[in-house]
Amino acid sequence: MIPYFVSLLLLGIPLMWVEWTIGRYGRLFGHGTAPGIFHSLWEKNRFIKYFGVIGIFGPLVIFVYYIYIESWLLGYAYFALTGAYRGADQAGMQAFLSGYQGLQPHPLFPDIGWAYLFFLITFAVNMWVLSRGVVKGIEWLNRWALPLLLLFAVTLAVRVLTLGAPDPAHPDWTTLAGLGFLWNPDLSALRDADVWLAAAGQVFFTLSVGIGVILTYASYLSRQKDVALSGLTSVATNEFAEVILGGSIAIPIAFAFFGPGAIASVAKSGAFNLGFVSMPLIFQQIPWGELFAFLWFALLFLAGLTSSISLLEPAIAFVEDEFRLRRWQASLTVGLLTLAATQPVIFFLGKGVLDELDFWGGTFCLVLFATVETLLFGWVFGIDRAWEEIHHGADLRVPRIYKFILKYVTPLFLIVILTAWFFQNGLPTILMYDVPAANRPYVLATRLGLTAVFLGLCALVRVAWRRRPVRQGTA
Amino acid sequence: MRPDGWLFLIGSWGAILALTAFCFARLFRTRR
Repeated sequence: MIPYFVSLLLLGIPLMWVEWTIGRYGRLFGHGTAPGIFHSLWEKNRFIKYFGVIGIFGPLVIFVYYIYIESWLLGYAYFALTGAYRGADQAGMQAFLSGYQGLQPHPLFPDIGWAYLFFLITFAVNMWVLSRGVVKGIEWLNRWALPLLLLFAVTLAVRVLTLGAPDPAHPDWTTLAGLGFLWNPDLSALRDADVWLAAAGQVFFTLSVGIGVILTYASYLSRQKDVALSGLTSVATNEFAEVILGGSIAIPIAFAFFGPGAIASVAKSGAFNLGFVSMPLIFQQIPWGELFAFLWFALLFLAGLTSSISLLEPAIAFVEDEFRLRRWQASLTVGLLTLAATQPVIFFLGKGVLDELDFWGGTFCLVLFATVETLLFGWVFGIDRAWEEIHHGADLRVPRIYKFILKYVTPLFLIVILTAWFFQNGLPTILMYDVPAANRPYVLATRLGLTAVFLGLCALVRVAWRRRPVRQGTA
Repeated sequence: MRPDGWLFLIGSWGAILALTAFCFARLFRTRR
């Protein structure tokens, strides 16, 4: 947790302010997405807009696999209520998941039909919300989904923390003792670069910074609206939900059932195993377990839905802003293209396509984009102007130390992370060290597809800028 | 959980709750 909080203070909070501020600034020039926003920050540079393409490409790539995983949550919420996996043990739950994904035959899942059905429903819900626009769609959804989410999370957290020791054979395996796995400080881990990378990644992903999403949302703000307090409030609310509520659910309950010996391997086995295998198993052991399992999956589905719509928003806003399409036209165009792009993820799930998309869209692009935007903001745009821009219409004075952090510490931290990550994880993945030979053609095809999408977006930016009359900002 | 773990948890939860309360109090005050 120590690297996590350091990353939050030095990366998460500053990046949140950067993205809120540059998003609102870009709107002055009629731009709501990164290519235009970057160009507004550095008008003299003709190439910077192509770096901004990462802010549309990254979230688009994440969306393509994220939405499929989101649909599993909907499926599992349904199966929890209908008791489809009732009585299954660890191996049974694993087989249930593989069967659902179409990776292995399973009596309940002769083919991928159920998974595809829930995917189509999830996709349709996403497109319906997005096509209704920012106020009637996205804001409306968040207005009722987030309080509901909070209610589900509090219910689950209270249930978990009051569970005590569910296994009479191990009276010391309590959920409160399970909090120790997260909170007992381990100073030796501070020397491990992997821990810092994972902590920074967690901060990026959960705050949605470095993706390109926050700046697009902020671009809907008028010049007089505050960004300093709003940005900080979004971080604080996220921390409350993630650290206090989220940290009190999965890990403590897994500790109480699997014990101190196995908890590390359960946590390391990844979010999929914890979410789709361990948690349903655990819920079977407690009274009203099916209801709590339903709440768990419904909670994650709603959380996923609010995220997935935000991931597609930059692409839709880009087409809407730069090509003057109507909202429904933009949603339909982007929707059809992403629907096609999702198919390889669904049908070649076991071939490494999803991991490859996660590597480029969900990891590499995030850190790269964050580095570029921080350098642009603090160095090209200039820290004095940047500081003034953050405080324009602000309801909060940002502590002065952050002027120094924004200019020096955050970019340096990002460059160190990018370098360490590149040599530790990036290079082996790029060279496909861990990819089985049979999967390599699929991985290469995915890379080819990603390159084509990236170049296609660059071409669209080029066309849009050629058609666009030269505009002057009103700053 | 170790005593230093409890200390870390209470400190962090306290800081997060205080920050969240501060932000929302300020939001309500300025947006009224």
